[in-house]
Amino acid sequence: MPINVNSSINIRLKVISVSLVMAVALAACATTTGVEHATNKDDPYENVNRAMYHFNDKLDDYLAAPVSKVYNKVTPQFARTGVFNFFSNLKNINVIVNDALQAKFMQGARDSGRFLLNSTLGLGGFVDVATDTGLDLNVEDFDQTLAVWGVPAGSYLVLPIIGPSTMRGIPGAAFDVAANPSTYLGVPIQLVSLLNTRATAEGSLKFIDEASLDPYVFTRESFLQWRNNLATDGKSESSMDFGDDLDELNSGTKQSGAKIEPAPQDISKTKHKLELLAPLQ
Amino acid sequence: MILKNIKLIVVLMMSMLTTSAVFAQDDVGLTAKQVVEKFQSELIAVMKDGKKLGYAGRYEKLSEPISNSHDLTKIARIVVGKEWEKLSEDQQQKLTDIFIRLSISSYAHNFKDYSGESFGFDSEEETTRGGVVVHTHLVIPNDKPVKFDYMLKEKGNSWRIINIIANGVSDLALKRSEYTTILQREGFEVLMTKINEKIDSYSKL
Repeated sequence: MPINVNSSINIRLKVISVSLVMAVALAACATTTGVEHATNKDDPYENVNRAMYHFNDKLDDYLAAPVSKVYNKVTPQFARTGVFNFFSNLKNINVIVNDALQAKFMQGARDSGRFLLNSTLGLGGFVDVATDTGLDLNVEDFDQTLAVWGVPAGSYLVLPIIGPSTMRGIPGAAFDVAANPSTYLGVPIQLVSLLNTRATAEGSLKFIDEASLDPYVFTRESFLQWRNNLATDGKSESSMDFGDDLDELNSGTKQSGAKIEPAPQDISKTKHKLELLAPLQ
Repeated sequence: MILKNIKLIVVLMMSMLTTSAVFAQDDVGLTAKQVVEKFQSELIAVMKDGKKLGYAGRYEKLSEPISNSHDLTKIARIVVGKEWEKLSEDQQQKLTDIFIRLSISSYAHNFKDYSGESFGFDSEEETTRGGVVVHTHLVIPNDKPVKFDYMLKEKGNSWRIINIIANGVSDLALKRSEYTTILQREGFEVLMTKINEKIDSYSKL
């Protein structure tokens, strides 16, 4: 069951702050290589992406994981939760900006309430008091805003250090970094943020290793599905109905590795999904 | 006297037939929602006894509920996509068998103990291709609830789960991508080895 995968992918995405220049360089490089072995239309640069995935994996094994292990040993759980809450609270500003850009004004008002409550009663964001009052954390970012504006996700990319992304994710991440106050707090603060994020992700990363047969594909698929689910606020029914897929399998007309197209759905029937996933809209 | 005996035998036979019918057609006649709820309650029951049962005990207890509520044969076929046709009959059978074992061992591994979790029903809807999606959520104390959407198709007279979508991530689509990629890049034997290793690690962890 991919219960923890979303948060893991989210956390990997959150490890944003360092090398956008490198990312753009990779994207440029990726346009010229790796196409010949493509099997998935969302991932035409699979070979380059796999190489980058293994690079990140090794970097994690030899640098991030050991450092994070030490960090976990020397800091108590409540301190890690506090640090996580602090950075999460700062990120709320970006959430509120993107609420507005997506015209989610009710949600924006509640997210503003959440930010104010946690910044004051929550001792500068270290304690998450807002969730207990029903003001849950929402996940909104500029990549989702671009999706709402109709920009397609483009090809899947694995970026150095940052991890899974898409073509659309690059400008999305650039905007989010710029709109996050922690970006301007200096390198030491950002390192703490990175370290804490990695430490919190321990369980989720373990889950990927445990649940997957091919961790690269597992990560890619759960990332793309999770982003699609966020961008559509749970309205997307893609990959849910495999009925036509079976029919096509029987007639042998389907192209291998092609993505399953979403079944047409009556949106009114899935309204409850909106209420569940984004109750604050 | 003879008549009485015949009557008794008939009654006995009737009751035996009824009993066997109940066993053989466990989930027959249930609605899609009932199939899901029955399976979820069986799962929670196993979780409650999880520690005492151990992995082997959980595997044994879950085996029948999973087989009765899921269409594992169909799922095994969908997860390899078009590659299914390229497999020999023997390979198809091997894949189906190992996939059934993997599915049960994955449940036995992941739902190993109980800390107050419960499933709740949200709604159900029909899909355009004659399937039903049952929307539920798993309540975890002190954590965010996890959405579980079950896609069911009719198989004979009963509804069977063919896909589970947890918080928007489809288990079937995930497995399908993994399995087809491994088949295409590394072949059938590697896939079998990897699944066997996975089952092995589930039984030990």
